[in-house]
Amino acid sequence: MNFFGMARKNALRKPLRTALLIICVTVAFLIYGLTASFVNGSQGGASGASENILGVMSAAGRTQPLPISYINRIKAEPDVLAVGYMTRLRGFATVEKNIIPVSAFDPRQLMDVNGKELGLTSQLMERFSENRGKVLVGRALAEAQGWKIGQRITVTSFDVQKQDGSRDWPFDIAGIFEGENASTDTYFVIAQYDYVNAMRSRHKDTVDAFVVRPQQHVAAGELAARIDQQFANSAAPTRTQSEKQFLEAFLRQYADIGLIVNLVVGAAFITLLMIIVNTMVFAVRERNFEIGVLKTLGFSDFRIMILILGETLFIFAVGGGIGLAGAMAFAAFSSPALGLVLSMELFFNAMIMIIALGIATGALPARNALKTPAVTALRAR
Amino acid sequence: MTYDSTQSPYIVLNAIRKGYRIGSETVPIFSNLDLEIPRGDFVAIMGPSGSGKSTLLSMLAGIDRPDSGSLCIGTCLLHQMGEAARTAWRAGNMGIVFQFYNLLPMLNAAENVELPLLLRPLSSKERRVRVEKVLDLVGLAGRGNQHPKLMSGGQQQRVGIARAIVTDPPLLLCDEPTGDLDRKSAEDILGMLRVLNKEMGKTIVMVTHDPQAAQYASRTLHLDKGIFTEERRAAR
Ligand SMILES: Nc1ncnc2c1ncn2[C@@H]1O[C@H](COP(=O)(O)OP(=O)(O)O)[C@@H](O)[C@H]1O
Ligand SMILES: [Mg+2]
Repeated sequence: MNFFGMARKNALRKPLRTALLIICVTVAFLIYGLTASFVNGSQGGASGASENILGVMSAAGRTQPLPISYINRIKAEPDVLAVGYMTRLRGFATVEKNIIPVSAFDPRQLMDVNGKELGLTSQLMERFSENRGKVLVGRALAEAQGWKIGQRITVTSFDVQKQDGSRDWPFDIAGIFEGENASTDTYFVIAQYDYVNAMRSRHKDTVDAFVVRPQQHVAAGELAARIDQQFANSAAPTRTQSEKQFLEAFLRQYADIGLIVNLVVGAAFITLLMIIVNTMVFAVRERNFEIGVLKTLGFSDFRIMILILGETLFIFAVGGGIGLAGAMAFAAFSSPALGLVLSMELFFNAMIMIIALGIATGALPARNALKTPAVTALRAR
Repeated sequence: MTYDSTQSPYIVLNAIRKGYRIGSETVPIFSNLDLEIPRGDFVAIMGPSGSGKSTLLSMLAGIDRPDSGSLCIGTCLLHQMGEAARTAWRAGNMGIVFQFYNLLPMLNAAENVELPLLLRPLSSKERRVRVEKVLDLVGLAGRGNQHPKLMSGGQQQRVGIARAIVTDPPLLLCDEPTGDLDRKSAEDILGMLRVLNKEMGKTIVMVTHDPQAAQYASRTLHLDKGIFTEERRAAR
């Protein structure tokens, strides 16, 4: 037996009480793990988006088209390393609920502008470019839909009609792109601009956005302002934002998800803190005489504090561990469309929270224990 | 061992004053208490309930401090030592046996005995060896895994004694160690204390109500109204 073994035995002497506390902690950390990984993930937040890549869209709204000819004026800007145009084709597969985002690019431009972030390889691009009907599908989307390379898929667009009046767009999957890392959004289809542009009935030779990669060490914010300046007095003024800013602004249209998550998690943890502090204060009070005995045997205040903090840390370590493992399992088996990402950072934060909450909840009962005089042992019964 | 006043005393209490504050008043327990106990003595302290026996024992144990006067045990001036220093002193210098055993309910017998050893730089193997040795000494060999709850009072008190002596302290303090036991168990426990005193040279101070228990000691002090009267006799 050692000190931690003693703390554990103290925790387990009332198994029901401890089990309930552990369940509280488990639920709190499950909530934390899921919400934080949702925010982390590409669908939930903008953390996976690049701060460096700029998107040039119409100032009139992100669904308003821009003339394709703008690309030459953007390219002429010396701080621009590469630029590509894109058009969106939001649609669904089979049922309307099953939304499939499609972005159509020029393959070569895409490789220069965003190849690294999307994890595009030259092999992948070669197969993609074989003919105009080929597409690349992101890993998350491919897994969610069960799509395989070589398969023909049909995306029914909500708003982009073909010249023949149909809104069904057939594509052939040339490959699957992985994204640079786990937080890259790969829940979309990369199609070819020429194919979409040739077949659509309206908005020919327009684009929804230009994607700009600035030269290294260029302040993206200043470049964005300069680009917008160029088109300020034209028929279609632009609004240029970093990909991250754009995603954040986009999410904020619905609500500040990050803030809500913090509030929910914060409320859960404060409640938890109060429940456990209260329970532990009573648990320690019940053991007053034992604490007196330990003091009589020569256990210092420090050791008694460690003993009680060890108990709360034990509860948080077990509950937090189970909660995070649950969140991890959920993230692993949930639909990739949710885009849950449990990063190392999240685990690190959780670890700090486990320790901080373990100490915070143990502090008051420990202080009470320290006030218990050793003579209590002689007066017991 | 008989009392020999020429030997330099191990425990010296000099002009001890001690009272308890109740509200604004201080109720005095001792106003001027003197006591000397030589090394290796076995002293029984008797007296009516409320006469201050436990208070005296808690001062000897270093868990309470006199209001004034001096209290020296060995070379330590306990009356001058702060809480932390006395706590450290307790861990190394005395063992204590309680009337109601005061074993921790979530620990088994061996773990209860092991407690004081957790404060020492010993490996778990060394601790186990020492725990087994003292359990053997108190006649509980092989019972280490048993929980105190499932033991008789006499057995629990043996665990209590084992815990008190596992660190091999020179001083053993007992507060009514047989007060909760039947006659037979009480005699076992008292016999054990006598062995610890005679064969292992431990100085023992035992508070008791029971005149028969006091017979095991080499002398008995009667405490009443804050002063001692001594009953002297040869050791049995
Ligand atoms: N912490 C305390 N506060 C106030 N009075 C106390 C306290 N401890 C003991 N007393 C009082 O001091 C007297 C002596 O107590 P104690 O030493 O326990 O006596 P004994 O052990 O001889 O029965 C009793 O009257 C008791 O009520
Ligand atoms: Mg008493």
